[in-house]
Amino acid sequence: MTLTQCPVDQTLALLCGAMEENRLQHPRSRRIAGQLIAMIEDVASGRAGSEHLPTLERLADELAGFAAEATGMALGTEVRLSLTANHEVFASHIETQNCAAGACDRLAPSPCQMACPAGIDIPTYVALIGEGRDAEAIETIRRDNPFPWVCGLVCTRPCEFMCVRGRIDQPVAIKTLKAFAAERALSLGHYVNPPQAPPKHRKVCVVGAGPGGMSAAYYLALNGYTVRVLEALPMAGGMMMVGIPRYRLPREVIDREVAMIEALGVEFCFNTRLGTDVTFEQLRAEGFEAFFLAIGAHASFRLNIPGENDFPQVTQAVDFLKRVALGDRRLPGQEVIVIGGGNVAVDAARTCLRLGCASVTMAYRRTLSEMPADVEEIEQAEEEGVQFSFLTIPVAVEGEQGRVIGLRSLKAQMIAQAGSKRMVPEPIKGSEFILRADAVISAIGQRVEKKGLEELQTLAWTRRDTIQVHTATMATDLPGIFAAGDAVTGPATVVEAIGGGKRAAAAIDRYLNGLPQPSMPPVPVRHHRAAWTEVPAATKMALKRQPMPLLNMDRRRTTFQQVELGLSENMVREEARRCLRCDICRRCGLCVTICRDKMKVDALRLGYLDFDHPGPTDFRWTQEHCIACGACAANCPNDAMQMEDRKGERIVHLCGTILSRQPVRYCDGCGQAIGTDRYNAFVRQRTQRIAPVTGNRVYCEACGRRQSILDAHDVHPMD
Amino acid sequence: MALRKGQKVEVFRRSGDESWEPYMDKFIGRHGIITDPDTSINDPESLVEVSLDGMGTHRLPQDCLRVLEA
Ligand code: SF4
Ligand code: SF4
Repeated sequence: MTLTQCPVDQTLALLCGAMEENRLQHPRSRRIAGQLIAMIEDVASGRAGSEHLPTLERLADELAGFAAEATGMALGTEVRLSLTANHEVFASHIETQNCAAGACDRLAPSPCQMACPAGIDIPTYVALIGEGRDAEAIETIRRDNPFPWVCGLVCTRPCEFMCVRGRIDQPVAIKTLKAFAAERALSLGHYVNPPQAPPKHRKVCVVGAGPGGMSAAYYLALNGYTVRVLEALPMAGGMMMVGIPRYRLPREVIDREVAMIEALGVEFCFNTRLGTDVTFEQLRAEGFEAFFLAIGAHASFRLNIPGENDFPQVTQAVDFLKRVALGDRRLPGQEVIVIGGGNVAVDAARTCLRLGCASVTMAYRRTLSEMPADVEEIEQAEEEGVQFSFLTIPVAVEGEQGRVIGLRSLKAQMIAQAGSKRMVPEPIKGSEFILRADAVISAIGQRVEKKGLEELQTLAWTRRDTIQVHTATMATDLPGIFAAGDAVTGPATVVEAIGGGKRAAAAIDRYLNGLPQPSMPPVPVRHHRAAWTEVPAATKMALKRQPMPLLNMDRRRTTFQQVELGLSENMVREEARRCLRCDICRRCGLCVTICRDKMKVDALRLGYLDFDHPGPTDFRWTQEHCIACGACAANCPNDAMQMEDRKGERIVHLCGTILSRQPVRYCDGCGQAIGTDRYNAFVRQRTQRIAPVTGNRVYCEACGRRQSILDAHDVHPMD
Repeated sequence: MALRKGQKVEVFRRSGDESWEPYMDKFIGRHGIITDPDTSINDPESLVEVSLDGMGTHRLPQDCLRVLEA
């Protein structure tokens, strides 16, 4: 073992290699090897705690002592020897979260992958989509997220906010690429489930068929557990189905991805409420050993104003969206006021328009710039005809003869709060006015409905009335009870719920196997390093983010058809080529420093490398200035920058972006490559040494020396 | 402080909030981007989603965050 190799990394590679090559056949050896891999991944990523090393030793001993499979015994012995011989290195990884050899972060996740709450290997799938390998891209995504199509349409895309390409122009359209690949793979029948582990005959109950619950169900079922999902609604999807309107997420998209989970043998029990239709006690008696609570946040905060409870035309946005999603398409009224400025309020307003309401006004207590809803959603609502009444504080719902006639409101002004920069709306005295309306929809936030969980008397709740968990594992303080999704975070995003579900599935597996839990949330795992696509520098700069084609306005105002139509195949393949492959180039900046400070050439304009203070980037600059010395490539710690000779040209490229391409000169004496003209001129200028030129001839150092002796004696070899 | 999507922030101190867990101490001094502010009511008490450079995406209480640029 050389000093540059890390035993943790090597032991991991040893185990992964055995699994990938199917060298272990017996289910028990495979299970133990899988557990060893999970534990060593914790060590390699700095998430391990004090119990990891003893557990690793125990598991290695178990594998080494399992006589039914000789290969497993040999592997176990090898792992055990490595653990003993490198005890200090493993311990230092755990204690310092640092790999001295720098090997354990060789597969360092890119910023987009790090930002994804589900930890999807984005650069790999983007590269695969760029090559037209959509089914493989979906397979990559589903390792971390069983809902690629749903997320491709509705994800809040934290990855794009961290996308390094955004420091040059605009982020890669990561979300949209995913939707395209999912749709294409499904349509061609290439969207398949990965192989399942043999049945473990152990039961886990998931409460709630939303994104969090179903993600946990998916990973547990893949791992061989028997999973039952309880759902109070008559269908799966949770808030994806009843909170997100169909013009953003068609039902078929959810149904198709749920069907993939059902195909793994997950049992769905609809119209089944925990606490009412079935109890924890009954489920435990049935043999369920662990529970995952993903009940969402379906209850609403109240306005607490007079009249709120007096008229049937005053509804809560989540209830309204739910009834529309379940098929009730009656108008709430002709003139509707939606109170609130968040995404749910915008969804409710746009849904009202599509149902045929004559006018829809959003009443919001602050101004447009403080509206918490997504900018794109607000813009689309405005385009469709939703009106806004800003700085409006509702004070009472007014009605006559049992019907709403308006919303009494006060005008507000934004003032700075004492001792803080936060601006708050303050009602203006005497500014009262009535917004005419025959229906009022309130969308001022959701909360978790505790009903149904009374049986868990000691379950801890936060002061925000959400379930308290340890976020590294999503475990509550009650043994065997885990929770994630909106029930833990409060109303949050689909992808966070998915990430929580996946994390909980891993923690439930450890819990049921008596394995130690990690001390930190997981660091996303790179599964492999996909090949890069070569793109000329000029193309890389010229490719701009593809705009999303939208449904025409008449249809947007009248139907629930999908508003975002998706990118064409050509647009998708082009968009994928904008990716900078930040999984390979880790933006250490060594190439820039060496070229500028050591070589004094300054041929790299890579301002995007800096997160806090990005400067200008121009990949084309290199072609004009590079001397093709190769110093950057020789010093790149991750082989991102490379220099190679191809068909008479010396090419310098960064993760496939061709930065410089110059003809190579060959020695006219021996035929050896002696660099480019620029390089030779550079060296001559500095050292007055090699590559002397005689007439049109160029020589390498040795041939040049020989030639100069011959020239001095005026002797010329015969050609 | 009403945080907005895409704002650059720094985790400048430990939060006293109950949602702060010991592993989050490692986030102090890290810069990141707000990826999901409270999208319903601009509540200063709500947890916001922040993607921290090199540390992943987490929900954090707002009192530990400082805006680096508007
Ligand atoms: S450029 Fe590509 S690898 Fe880099 S952050 Fe964006 S999508 Fe990820
Ligand atoms: S090969 Fe070009 S870019 Fe790289 S260090 Fe040499 S001059 Fe600079």
